[in-house]
Amino acid sequence: MSVTINTKINGQSVSASADASTSLLEFLRDTLELKGSKLCCNTGECGACTVIYNGKPINSCVTMAADANGAEITTIEGLADGDKLHPVQQAFIDTGAVQCGYCTPGYIMSVKALLDRTTKPTAEDIEEAVSGNICRCTGYAKIVDAIQLAAQKLQLR
Amino acid sequence: MMEYFEPKSISEALSVLEKHGADAKVIAGGTDVMVDIKFKEEPGGLVNIKKLPGLTGIKENGGSLRIGALTTIRDLETSALVREKLPALWESSHQFASLQVRNTATIGGNICRASPSGETLAPLLVLEATGKCVFSDGEKVQPFTSFFQGPGKSVLGAKGLLTEIDVPYPAPGSKSVYLKHAVRGAMDIAMVGVAVLLTPDAGKNNIQDVRIGLGAVAPTPVRASKTEALLRGKPLSASLLKEAAAMAASESSPITDQRSSAEYRRWIVEALTRRGLEQTWKAATGKEVA
Repeated sequence: MSVTINTKINGQSVSASADASTSLLEFLRDTLELKGSKLCCNTGECGACTVIYNGKPINSCVTMAADANGAEITTIEGLADGDKLHPVQQAFIDTGAVQCGYCTPGYIMSVKALLDRTTKPTAEDIEEAVSGNICRCTGYAKIVDAIQLAAQKLQLR
Repeated sequence: MMEYFEPKSISEALSVLEKHGADAKVIAGGTDVMVDIKFKEEPGGLVNIKKLPGLTGIKENGGSLRIGALTTIRDLETSALVREKLPALWESSHQFASLQVRNTATIGGNICRASPSGETLAPLLVLEATGKCVFSDGEKVQPFTSFFQGPGKSVLGAKGLLTEIDVPYPAPGSKSVYLKHAVRGAMDIAMVGVAVLLTPDAGKNNIQDVRIGLGAVAPTPVRASKTEALLRGKPLSASLLKEAAAMAASESSPITDQRSSAEYRRWIVEALTRRGLEQTWKAATGKEVA
């Protein structure tokens, strides 16, 4: 059965329909052509599909598209300001925290949500914020460097 | 094609379940049900209760905490009341998958899923929590010790809804823990989860009451009631501790699956029960196990 979805994505009102079995991730990627959020495990374990839903990071693969109704959602496509990358995106580049890149949008959304909560995250906050994101290339040290750099940049703002 | 319902009230939800409950599945956070839809089988319909009013929030109610069934695990984890009054339940919400999942998953969903390994279930059993179960012909308050009937099965059947969880505060002086054994920390489904709640007597010399909840080692989460009976009224000596831990392992009936063998699970029940009793005894009495 088709469900009408009225939602706000990256600040823009969107109205579209999707089958009730559609996940938010499928809705973003296949209906709205926003391919930045990645399909990987599809079970809510790897974090590649992380988006910010009403201010909180969630796995869009295990969220119903229908639950986007009335919600405000931010995806990786909503972070840059024109050609100027968001400080979290820039920090991942500057520290070399990207290898294959598949996990990166999910990481960046988790980190964006963390730094929206606090610009002075403790080591524990950082670990908690990205414990639901898996990277199979980098070994995590550079990702933590990126988070710390982004936090510093945001504190100076 | 799957049917879809988004009831606006509990009574509307119940009448939808009355008519379609046999084929339709209730969905709240969706972190379990969406995985079933993608990897197993689409149900005949979905009844999305996420937006039912009045089913979120954590409130003090005299000597207990009332938790709305749609309260997220993250709301439990960030609740100062839960952390202070119900540390074992708090620990299970803290050890619950990732932040992303905790932001979405609900306590009602974790309970109604009735998975033997459901993270919050062993703590709810030792806390002797109850659930308000509503049906189209009435409602009842069901202790969770008699709520679960098998993997995925509970007294709710296909037509009931859990709306609220009531968790009584443990007796003053009690100490509780939730210990989880998994390979990948909180992210993993527990191989074994053990909750222990221990109440000392007034002189802090003996165990007045003790409750042991075992997760992921039987078709439902269970209490180790023989072990509890063995311990009551006695001081926790080293020999009693050893006997109790072994008895708890014998009260479990685990299966072998991809996460571990049954034999390994029994060892872990023994180890975690021992650890849980030791920790709660020390915390409650200030004494070492003699």
